Amino acid sequence: MTALAAPAREAAAARRTRAELATDGVVVVVVVAVLLAGLSTDRFVSVANAKAILTSASLVGVCALGLTLIMIGGSAVSLAISQTVAAVGMVFLSAQSLGLVPALLLAVVVGALVTGVQGAVVGHAGANPVVLTIAASFAIAGVATGVTDGVSVSPSGTGYDHLNATPAGLPLSVYVLVALTLGVEWTLRRTGFGRSLYLVGENRRAARAAGLAVGRTTTLAWLGAGALFAVTAAFTAAFNTSANVNLGGTLTFDAIAAVLAGGTPITGGRGSAVRTFLGAVLIAAVSDILLLRGYSTGVQVLVKGLIVLGVVVLVHLRTRSRQA
Amino acid sequence: MSTSRSLLPTTRRRSTPLRLGAAVLGLALAAAACGGSGDDDDKASASGGGGGGLDGKTVDFVGYGADNPWGAHFNKVFTDKLEGQGVEIRDLTTMDPGTAVTNFNQAISNKPDLIVAALLDTSSMVVPIEKAKQAGIPVLVFDGRPDPSVDGDVMQVLSDSEALGVAAAQNLVEGLQAQGKDSGDIIVITGTKSGFAAQDRMKGFDAEMAKNPSYEVIETEDGNWDPALTGKIATQLIAKHGCDGIQGAYGMADYQAVAIIASAEQAGCQVGGADGMVVTGSNCFKAGIEAIKAGTLYGTATEDPGTIAEQTADYIERYFNGEEPPATEVVKEERVTAANVADFEAQCSNA
Repeated sequence: MTALAAPAREAAAARRTRAELATDGVVVVVVVAVLLAGLSTDRFVSVANAKAILTSASLVGVCALGLTLIMIGGSAVSLAISQTVAAVGMVFLSAQSLGLVPALLLAVVVGALVTGVQGAVVGHAGANPVVLTIAASFAIAGVATGVTDGVSVSPSGTGYDHLNATPAGLPLSVYVLVALTLGVEWTLRRTGFGRSLYLVGENRRAARAAGLAVGRTTTLAWLGAGALFAVTAAFTAAFNTSANVNLGGTLTFDAIAAVLAGGTPITGGRGSAVRTFLGAVLIAAVSDILLLRGYSTGVQVLVKGLIVLGVVVLVHLRTRSRQA
Repeated sequence: MSTSRSLLPTTRRRSTPLRLGAAVLGLALAAAACGGSGDDDDKASASGGGGGGLDGKTVDFVGYGADNPWGAHFNKVFTDKLEGQGVEIRDLTTMDPGTAVTNFNQAISNKPDLIVAALLDTSSMVVPIEKAKQAGIPVLVFDGRPDPSVDGDVMQVLSDSEALGVAAAQNLVEGLQAQGKDSGDIIVITGTKSGFAAQDRMKGFDAEMAKNPSYEVIETEDGNWDPALTGKIATQLIAKHGCDGIQGAYGMADYQAVAIIASAEQAGCQVGGADGMVVTGSNCFKAGIEAIKAGTLYGTATEDPGTIAEQTADYIERYFNGEEPPATEVVKEERVTAANVADFEAQCSNA
C-alpha cells in the first residue's frame, strides 16, 4: 500500500508544483507588465514620482498593516476602519492642547480600545466579524456625530503639524510606514503572539484544541490593529487640519484592497506585513501610472478592483493546490 | 391648503383615455381653483402656501444628514428658525442617496404640508418628486438644482454654483497677477464630476478662465468631494508636473483646497506668498478661513450652510404666509480673500 501511495504523492506534488509555478508565473507577468507600463509612461521614472507613490501608499499602508493582523488571525476584515479613523482623528485634534505626544498616545489608546473591544467579542464570543464591524461602524459614527453635533473638529493646538514634516524631502508618514512594517513583520515572525496568530488563523478549532488562547490572541490582534488605525487617523487629521465623520473616506476598502493585493488570504493563517506594504505600493503605483496616462478616477478604481480580484483568484488557486 | 398648478397630479403615467380625461378635468378644475395659468407661471412663483401662517404646519425634511458638517449646521439653523414659529419638522435627513429616496417616499405617505429636500442624487429623486406631485404635496429643493425633467415641479432655493466657479477663477487670476505672473498652469480637483454642483461650478470657472487665456488649466481631476483622495491626486499631479510646473490650483471645496496645500508643502513646493502656488477653494469652511488667514489659501467663496438655511426658512415662511415667492431663488454668493476674510470669518466657520 505504501508502494502504491508513493507515486500518488509524487503525482500530487507534481500537480501542486505546476499550479504554484503557474500562479507565480502570473504574478511575475503582472509585475513585469506594471513595470513596463511604468517605464513607458512619461515622468513615471523620477525621484519626485517615487516619492509621490510612497506618500500615497503611506496612510493606507499603515491602516492595512492593522488589517493584516486581523486577517492573518482568521477574523476576515473590519468594516469599521473609516469610522474608527474619523473618530480617533477627532480625538487627536481636540487633544492638541495637551501636546503632540500625549494627544498621539491618547489617540492610540482610544483606537486600540475601540477596535480591541470588537476583537474581544469576535475572539471570545465567536461573533461574525463582518456583521459586528458593520454594527460598530454605525455606532462609532453615531457617537462621533452626537458628541460633535456634526461639526468638524479643529485642532486645539499646533503640535499636530509636526506630523506633516518631510525629513529628507519625504513625508514622515512614509518613514512611519516602513518602520511599522518592519515592526509588525518582526512581531509576526519572531514572537509567540505572532506564531499563535498564524495558528489561530489557519485553524481556530485546532488551535483551541492545542491549548492556545484563541480569544486572547484574537483580542490582541485587534488591539494592535486599532493602534495602527489610530496612527493613520493622527496623520490623516494632521494632513487635513480638521476632522469630521467623513475623514476616513474610503480607507476601509482601500486597506482591504492593499492587504488582498499583497496576497494575504482573507481566510487567514498566512500573509505578512511586507506583503501588505508591497500591496499598498502596487496599488499606489498603478493609480499613479493611470493618472500620468490621463485615465479618469473611475478607471483607476476599476483597475484597483481588477487587481484585487486577480490576486484573490491566484491566492485561491494556490490554496487549492496546497490542499490537493 | 390650495395647491399651485405646478404641484398638481400629472397624467404622465395614465394610459387609458378615461383616465386621461379624468386627469385633464381634474387639472382644469384645480387650476381654476388656484387661479393658475400656464407653465411659465408655474416657474414664476410658488403660490399655495395658504396664507394661514406657519403655526401648525408640517414639514418633512429630507435634508443632508447631520454626519456631514455642512448639513449639521444647515439643519440646526433651519430647524431652529421654523420650529420657533410653530412649524412641526419631521427629521428624515441622511447622507445616503438610497436612504434619501426611501425617506422621500416616507415623507409622501406622511402627507405633510411641504417636503423640503436636498438632492444627493438628482436622477434617483426624479420619480419620488413625480410621486409627490401626483399626491399633491408641494416640494421645495434646496442647495443643488433638480433634474431638468422635474425642474418645473418643485420650488427651489439654490446655491449659485456658477458664481462659485467664477469666484474661484477670479481668485486664481487675481492671485497670479499679484505675483506678477502673466501666465501660468493650473490644476483643478473637483467634487463629484457627475453631480450638477461640480458641473455648474466648472461651467462658471471655465467661462471666467476663458477671459484670461494666458492662464491654462492643464489638469482637471475628479476628487469626489473627498479630501483624502484629493490629497493623493494632488501629490501625484505635483510629482508629474513639478513645483515649477503648477502655478495655481483649484480645490472645489475648502477642505479639498487644504489637502492640495498640504500635498504641495509635503512635496517641497512653496504655497502662497510672493512666488508660491496660488490655491483657491470655492465654498467656505473653517479650515479654509484659517488657511486664508495663514496666507496659504488665496481665497474662497461663501455657500455657507447658515446663509442658505436662513434663506430656505425665509422662503418657507413667505410660502406659508401666501406671499407667493418666485419658484426659484438663488442665494447670493460672495468671494472671500485675505482682503475681506474678517467680514466672512464668523459666517464661514460653522462647518
